[in-house]
Amino acid sequence: MKESKEVPRRSLLTWVSSVALFGSAVISALANFVFLKPRATYGAPSRFSIGRPEEFPPGSRIAIEQRRICVAREGNQVAVISTTCTHLGCIVAVSDTGFSCPCHGSRYDQDGNVTGGPAPKPLPWYQVKLAPNGELEVDTSVEIKPGTYYTV
Amino acid sequence: MKLALAIASLIVFAVHGVVFYDQFFHKWERYQTAYFDQARSQARSELERAEMEARRPRIEQILVTNFGAARVDRCTTCHIASDDPRFSGLSHPLKTHPYSTALGDINQAGRWVRRHKFNDFGCTICHDGQGRGLTEYYAHGEDHYWPEPLIGYTVQHTWKKEYQKFLKGKEYMQANCAQCHTEENFAGTPLIAKGRRLFFEKNCYGCHRIEGISDGTLGPELTEAGKKFKIDYLWESIVDPRAGMATSFMPKFRLTEDEVKALVIFLKSRKGINLTETSLALFRARLNQDSAPPAAMSQPSLPAPSLNLVARGKELVEQRACAACHKIGDKDGGIAPDLSFEGAIKDEPWLLEHFKNPRALIPDSIMPAFRFSQADFEAMTAYLISLKAPTPPASPAEIFKLFCARCHGEKGDGQGPVALYVDPAPRDLTKAAFMNSKPRERFVKSIQEGVPGTSMAAWQNVLSESQIRALVDYIFTAMVKERGRELKARNLPEQNPVPSSPQSIARGEQTYLARCTGCHGRKADGKGPNSLDIVPRPRNLRNSPFIQSISDRRMIESILYGIQGTAMPPWIDYGMSQKDAGDLVNYIRSLTQASGRRQLRAGR
Repeated sequence: MKESKEVPRRSLLTWVSSVALFGSAVISALANFVFLKPRATYGAPSRFSIGRPEEFPPGSRIAIEQRRICVAREGNQVAVISTTCTHLGCIVAVSDTGFSCPCHGSRYDQDGNVTGGPAPKPLPWYQVKLAPNGELEVDTSVEIKPGTYYTV
Repeated sequence: MKLALAIASLIVFAVHGVVFYDQFFHKWERYQTAYFDQARSQARSELERAEMEARRPRIEQILVTNFGAARVDRCTTCHIASDDPRFSGLSHPLKTHPYSTALGDINQAGRWVRRHKFNDFGCTICHDGQGRGLTEYYAHGEDHYWPEPLIGYTVQHTWKKEYQKFLKGKEYMQANCAQCHTEENFAGTPLIAKGRRLFFEKNCYGCHRIEGISDGTLGPELTEAGKKFKIDYLWESIVDPRAGMATSFMPKFRLTEDEVKALVIFLKSRKGINLTETSLALFRARLNQDSAPPAAMSQPSLPAPSLNLVARGKELVEQRACAACHKIGDKDGGIAPDLSFEGAIKDEPWLLEHFKNPRALIPDSIMPAFRFSQADFEAMTAYLISLKAPTPPASPAEIFKLFCARCHGEKGDGQGPVALYVDPAPRDLTKAAFMNSKPRERFVKSIQEGVPGTSMAAWQNVLSESQIRALVDYIFTAMVKERGRELKARNLPEQNPVPSSPQSIARGEQTYLARCTGCHGRKADGKGPNSLDIVPRPRNLRNSPFIQSISDRRMIESILYGIQGTAMPPWIDYGMSQKDAGDLVNYIRSLTQASGRRQLRAGR
């Protein structure tokens, strides 16, 4: 009787210890995986506001060089197009026909489609929306389908 | 054994769990989730709601590159609603940053537009704090190793309790406004302007240098005070200068709380560089500094003149905190001589000249040369001249206590309350070896006529000759105590036997360099390497008023026979002849004689 009681207690303890130790190991391993992706980097933030819609009159195409974007407005519709050349990353200039890269002569039309030069891909369009404080907020981490305008 | 293992492994498991929770479940995630939930419930369109639904907590940061060194401000990670006007009624951290016309924000038809957009300016540029911090403790700079806690909000636990209550308030942020808004009277920073005014009114500029504003040399330079010191240290140093450094002789000024606060904010704004200046601009400004004196060096603002010169002088002396160092009537700064009867011991030309340049008359004086106008100096002189001595008391003991004890000490040991700040130091009248080696006539003469180049004043207009003789007798009986033997006049020439010539001066210089520099110093300023161990200190031989006042005979006697009771040895014992001493006297006199303008580019 005494013996039979002793055995389950011992095996229960063994079971508890192994679960706890295994659990610790799993948690530690998981923690290491979490560290694989940095939570913050020192690059420019991907979400930023660019000012009120009134600052971009209808029909204008205004480049913000620091942020590497071009804000195009037609009527009450706004779009934000990247100005980073898809070839080697120069900042493309806004021209009458669209965009042109000063480095290797890549040319894009007004929607960012490649019309000439070595650029392999069209310029991406970024998500833009009206933030609660009444300013336009751009998120460069979200690329949207070219030709999608946001109505202000 | 198994039980122990089970318990130990459970503990390990629990610790792992706690650490994991602590490291990967953050307060800011909860704040952000709360923000998303509330924003979603307030969303006006389905699209907006879907967007909020899609957002996940993440570290938000603003990269500021336009103002000085790049800043990374992650404040919006917790204060995520700071630019969302719908959250103005909530409490921190989910609260809208207030809008204010004082900050330049504009209200356009019910909608506020910020002047200083957080995107461009970040947060720490105005608020201080640690922009990279993600917990309150670090981000707000509560950690006392962080040099810039949230200004006006966060008080570090090491700050003194009695000052903590003064160090809160958003007005402290004006110090940071002034990093860009450097205009002297910028409307947004009234306390900086007040502090600047006080800096001149309270004569801080006399001792402290701030590049481009003042050029005092007595106190520490404050050009970068705002960068080096936290506001609690600045407050303490103004209110109680000796708390930080026991040997400080900065006076305690009688300032109100508001005045101290304005000064602290003004000093906190002095960081040596402002954010609108590039380092190249600063370099250019420093290059051109010598050619153009800064505009701010002009006269400090003056109170309205009153008609009576003496009354105006009194007003000026009171306003300019002279009593912060000097004693005038019942006000006593405890650092500098008593001015209560200045009119009886000094005359007008002396006072006027001393005001303009104290060190022209007392070369080792610590009194700053204040830049007041000639009219102000005249008024202050007129006031001081009007201060006459009271009728001297009857007994010499009381005379000594009233007139002499402030410098020479109540016991006559040269340790009066201001003795530390008077250079040359007041004579120790209890030192029998010195006192008994000089004839009494010399003491009578020193009291009557004063000692030029020192703080010893001439008392002949206050005390009669019999009173002075009684005073000298009192000093000898009550203080010296030892009776000296009869003094015999030494057989020395009245005039220097060696006529002054370039050859004699050159010989004197050789002797001086060989024998005197150990104590009197290579610069003859009395600060040689041995001088630190010597009391009384070696004489400053460049003290021209003093050197010009003493006779050749006294100089030769001091050199050849030494000065008893001091470290000056009798050089006659070391083989010095009267001729050598004469050369030395010629050399020492040549040091203080006005010579032709030094020719820096003379051909050699």
